[in-house]
Amino acid sequence: MADNAQSQSQSADVRTTGHVWDGDLQEFNNPLPTWWIYTFYVTVLFALVYWVAYPSWPVGKSFLPGINTVTYVNAQGEEESWHWNTRAKLLVETQEAVAAQKPYFDKIASLPYENVTKDPELSSFVVSAGKALFSENCAACHQAGGQGKIGLFPNLTDDDWLHGGGFENIHETLTKGRRGYMPPFSEALAPERIDELANYVVSLSGGKADPAKTAKGKDLFHSHAAACFYCHGDDARGRRDIGSANLTDKVWLWADVPGAESDAARIAAVRRVIAGGLNKGVMPAWEGRLNPEQIRLLTIYVHELGGGR
Amino acid sequence: MSATSVAAAGQYDYDIIKKFSVMAIVWAVVGMFAGVYIASELAWPFLNFDSPYLSFGRFRPVHTGAVIFGFGGSALFATSYYVVQRTCQTRLFAPGLATFTFWGWQAVIVLAALSYVTGYTQGREYAEMEWPIDLLILFVWLAYMAVFIGTLMQRKQPHIYVANWFYLSFILVTALLHVFNNLAVPVDLFSLKSYSLFSGAQDAMTQWWYGHNAVGFFLTSAFLGMMYYFVPKHAGRPVYSYRLSIVHFWALSFMYMWVGTHHLHWTALPDWASTLGATFSIMLLLPSWGGMINGIMTLSGAWDKLRTDPIMRFMIVALSFYGMSTFEGPLMSLKDVNALSHYTDWTVGHVHSGALGWVAMIAFGSLYHMIPRLWNTQMYSVRLINAHFWLATIGVLLYITAMWISGISQGLMWRAFDDFGNLQYSFVESVAAMHPFYAMRAIGGMFFLTGMLLMAYNVTMTIRQGVRAAEATGAPAAAAA
Repeated sequence: MADNAQSQSQSADVRTTGHVWDGDLQEFNNPLPTWWIYTFYVTVLFALVYWVAYPSWPVGKSFLPGINTVTYVNAQGEEESWHWNTRAKLLVETQEAVAAQKPYFDKIASLPYENVTKDPELSSFVVSAGKALFSENCAACHQAGGQGKIGLFPNLTDDDWLHGGGFENIHETLTKGRRGYMPPFSEALAPERIDELANYVVSLSGGKADPAKTAKGKDLFHSHAAACFYCHGDDARGRRDIGSANLTDKVWLWADVPGAESDAARIAAVRRVIAGGLNKGVMPAWEGRLNPEQIRLLTIYVHELGGGR
Repeated sequence: MSATSVAAAGQYDYDIIKKFSVMAIVWAVVGMFAGVYIASELAWPFLNFDSPYLSFGRFRPVHTGAVIFGFGGSALFATSYYVVQRTCQTRLFAPGLATFTFWGWQAVIVLAALSYVTGYTQGREYAEMEWPIDLLILFVWLAYMAVFIGTLMQRKQPHIYVANWFYLSFILVTALLHVFNNLAVPVDLFSLKSYSLFSGAQDAMTQWWYGHNAVGFFLTSAFLGMMYYFVPKHAGRPVYSYRLSIVHFWALSFMYMWVGTHHLHWTALPDWASTLGATFSIMLLLPSWGGMINGIMTLSGAWDKLRTDPIMRFMIVALSFYGMSTFEGPLMSLKDVNALSHYTDWTVGHVHSGALGWVAMIAFGSLYHMIPRLWNTQMYSVRLINAHFWLATIGVLLYITAMWISGISQGLMWRAFDDFGNLQYSFVESVAAMHPFYAMRAIGGMFFLTGMLLMAYNVTMTIRQGVRAAEATGAPAAAAA
């Protein structure tokens, strides 16, 4: 490495500093590149202009506010100007966005639900705003398209509604929240009895089940010992007022019957729900988290997802 | 490592440098593997295997810790001990303390990684270590400072070489940053958990004052020190301008201190602090470029070496990436650009163009120059260095291109409104759109890691060759000039 190190300087006027380290390390003393130093001055100038325009140096307990201002409407409805700041900018942008959407929200609030869905422009607005609200607030559980997840969250795109699928039902669900509960029967009933009930429940929606067990399960279902009919009704079609499931259709939320690979697995899935009960079906209340206009709009959006009644 | 200490019949203390050099390479392999793994987790989430120990959140600081402090830190210890001895023409001051810095520093990296995977973190980026590890770092750092300053003071040269100013500023400022950023109150004496002394916006400001100056002094000043020795030394050319080195050293040191707040635009941070962060970042551009100009101009007149010498290529590409990322940084620090870039992958790409393109490349070049001299031999294979160079360069380019596209797309998707003024995309839609770029980024990382493995192999063979030659001659060989 050292061979050619005592190298010639680049021009006659440029000399090294005369220091040598580690055998051959030297330094030329070239002047600062002109473009470098002037560009640096330009960046300093930029900073100076910036400091005059925007809040910059702290002075005592305050700071230089800069000459730029933001004008906005305050809580009293008066126009006010403030030095440039991010809070005021956010306020202005929010106010402008809210004002732009206000006519739509007002119109939706003034019309019956059914009329909103008949108006093409309002429907487009509901789809646009509803998708944004749904994505931010609902999709985490009900999934992006509202298809839900078996064993966890109801599907909102089919026409099966535990608590009713009318506009008013959905509005109440959104506003107040819901809680799904079924007591566990593992201690009240012997495993064979639970198995018989499961056979009967699967048979109700046309699934393959053991006929002997089904017959016994049917008796048990309507007996006061198991008392299934208290909640699911004599016809096993469920009760909207308490959100109990309709066991006669092929729509399943908690027992993963559609995903089961065999008849035995289908019965086992139902057996697990009867034995263990349910205590995890919690839909939070959105009252207080979303404003009434947003809840009204989401009601229509969810209703229109495919399965509203 | 090699017990056959010491080339140069003891003219310089090389044993400690050898240890740090080897560990730099070990940590580079470990840290870059962790990086490729977490990048792959983002692209193919099944790689989490539902294990908390492997999850992105715990593994990410393992990656950053191993590459910044393990690889970068060990490379800096190694090169600074090498440079300070050779340019001061003296042995290390307090070699016992220097040995302590080695074992202490390695313990820090191992303990930090173990604590992260078991779930202990301060939640401060690049300073996730909990308080007992912070204390160990402090002791190691004070020992380092004593060794470095002590060696400078016993120099046999009238002047302190420019590389040493940069190393010294890095050592001093890192001590300052480390202490103030980690002021915390442990829950109790036997608990690993602690809480920061600061709260709210002050806490965030302290964190980013530390965070950006870690970039500034640990990953920039210190590696400029490396550049200022190894580029002119390897090129066999004098440094282009002494004057420029002084002016940009002081400008860089002064400007960097102010810019941390540009990480907190559009938050609860006071607007005036935000402005100062942005403007000082703009004024930092030319001081940063001073180092690039000095490095590149030093090479002018030795351009022919680029054709034959892959080590030189590492150095010139490192300087180019340094120039590019120090241009991109000030750009991203402007509030309106930041509104688009912040929280997106653009930031991640920017960091990696600096970390892979500049820091790792200049470290590779320097290690390739230094290692054969430490073991008094030649590199085992120049062709492997060349292969490493191309793998690394392609890797960086894939990485940052992927992150530019994905980052800018994210930024645009998050701010897109439809005709009614509603958000056009949900967050998860932007995540789905990122998938191909996450895969591309992981592949870029794999290129970079593959190059690193070639280096590890090449260096291992070089060391074996050096040790064998030393044993054959039966006497400790003389140091390379």
